[in-house]
Amino acid sequence: MIQAQSLTKHYGSKTAVDAVDFTVQPGKVTGFLGPNGAGKSTTMRMIVGLDQPSAGSVIVNGKPYHEHKAPLREVGVLLDAKAVHTGRSAYNHLRAMAATHNIPTSRVHEVINLTGLESVARKRVGGFSLGMGQRLGIAAALLGDPATLILDEPVNGLDPEGVQWVRKLTKQLAAQGRTVLLSSHLMSEMALTADHIIVLGRGRVIADASVADLIASAAQNTVRVRTPHTAALAALLAQEDVTITNAEQDVLEISGLTVNEIGDRAAAAQISLHELSAVSASLEDAYMKLTQNEVEYRTGDTHAEAEVAR
Amino acid sequence: MSTINLTQPSAARATFMSAGSGLSFTGLLKSESIKLWSLRSTYWTYSLVVVAALGIGVLMSFALSATAGFDPATGAPMPIDNAQIFVIASTSGLVLGQLIVAVLGVLSISGEYSSGMIKSTLTAVPNRLPALWAKVIVLFAFTVLIGLVSVVGSFLVAVPRLAVEDITASLFDVDVLLPLLGNVLFLALIAVFAVGIGAIVRSSAGGIATVLGIVLLLPTVVGLFSLAVEWVNDIVPYLFTVAGSEMVYPNTMESWQAFLVVMAWVVVSLGAAALLLKRRDA
Repeated sequence: MIQAQSLTKHYGSKTAVDAVDFTVQPGKVTGFLGPNGAGKSTTMRMIVGLDQPSAGSVIVNGKPYHEHKAPLREVGVLLDAKAVHTGRSAYNHLRAMAATHNIPTSRVHEVINLTGLESVARKRVGGFSLGMGQRLGIAAALLGDPATLILDEPVNGLDPEGVQWVRKLTKQLAAQGRTVLLSSHLMSEMALTADHIIVLGRGRVIADASVADLIASAAQNTVRVRTPHTAALAALLAQEDVTITNAEQDVLEISGLTVNEIGDRAAAAQISLHELSAVSASLEDAYMKLTQNEVEYRTGDTHAEAEVAR
Repeated sequence: MSTINLTQPSAARATFMSAGSGLSFTGLLKSESIKLWSLRSTYWTYSLVVVAALGIGVLMSFALSATAGFDPATGAPMPIDNAQIFVIASTSGLVLGQLIVAVLGVLSISGEYSSGMIKSTLTAVPNRLPALWAKVIVLFAFTVLIGLVSVVGSFLVAVPRLAVEDITASLFDVDVLLPLLGNVLFLALIAVFAVGIGAIVRSSAGGIATVLGIVLLLPTVVGLFSLAVEWVNDIVPYLFTVAGSEMVYPNTMESWQAFLVVMAWVVVSLGAAALLLKRRDA
């Protein structure tokens, strides 16, 4: 469990993280989203004490990270692929990390096998591909069999098999009751992996909800209607809270009405429909909507800010 | 008879509790020695220290036997005892070794910053200082070991050559052993001093330049200034390298005083490093 309270980080005059409050629950995969520079990495660095918060606090598994007697057994962290000396072999890197906590060499071999690094474990890390570096970072994070995992862009540079592997692994770790905090820019991947989403924008939490709730609240479901009588249908359905866009010839995209309502009204008015389908919003749609609001907020539109806060 | 539940109810997602061995200082010492000995540069630098010591030791044993008893500058007879000859033969090469271990000391920590390894180190040891102390102790211990190999090796290669000139001494003669150990101690303290500088500067190039400046350049520069400004002469013995040599060959101060001066340099370097390591974001 990770709990942040008014967590703040200033770099000079720039505020990277602005008084964020959030809780990352155990037993779930929590996705950490936000545009570049939103403060995700800085927040993750503060969780494991690499950066000191300017104000506020963050605790992991009940304590500030540095108060744990066995930090690597509490939190496994992948910050970026380059937290390894390039002149050292993957095996020796893991062995040196394991030694700090008296973790047996058998565990080093275990995480090497788990991450598929057997063939390159004795090679120097400097020659690793981005994907191999990521696998080594994940291996290091898993070394202490930690209760909490923090993975910053773990699928960055991984092949499709590796992406799928990370998805299964993180879900499995969460199912064991661990806390998993995961950041990624791949929305489709996040939608498949995460149970809960925290969205940061400009250093603030702009959404903190389950994936389903986030999509439902941020992006409206639309209905796609194909009819030769677009003008007549549009006139029929026009009312407040309903937006109708002419997506292509003979096709309307309508939000604010359900499939049933549109079908019934069209039938009553004897307008023939060639297609009537609900288009459900994706996590990506929701994310774009949220962060687009964030752009409005940046230019000082207070109305948008109120929307976001809600 | 017990039944086995094949499908775990979802409520079984009890919070995972971590278990197993924790952080320990002996673990950190082990980790730092793995780090030291899993880099090729360590083998290179330490080999160079020994090779330079032995090579220069051999050369010196020839030069010394030829000029023993004479002041090389004036050619006038000069009293020089056998023990002293052996000390010079055994330790002259260590001056080169001092520069090499200074570089090694800087790299042992600056390399962690340039590669990003420091993030792994500090997440494993979030209180940070134990990691620094472990690194210092490991580097000190191995440098003492390499220093001992160098001086004893140089002593042994000098023996047959000097015996030709009827110059003999025992390694365990206090006048031989103490100066040799003093040189070894200073060698290891240079490495430790360099770790501090590397941790302060956090860059390999900057750290190496700073350390070599202090070890190599500062005595020359201060020496030049002392020609123009007389009182500058008084600070010369307090320079790191000068005090290091006074530990072994007391001139303007006692050995123990020189040792305290050397330790002051080391403490300031490591103290500043510790303070900054604790305060700065990694």
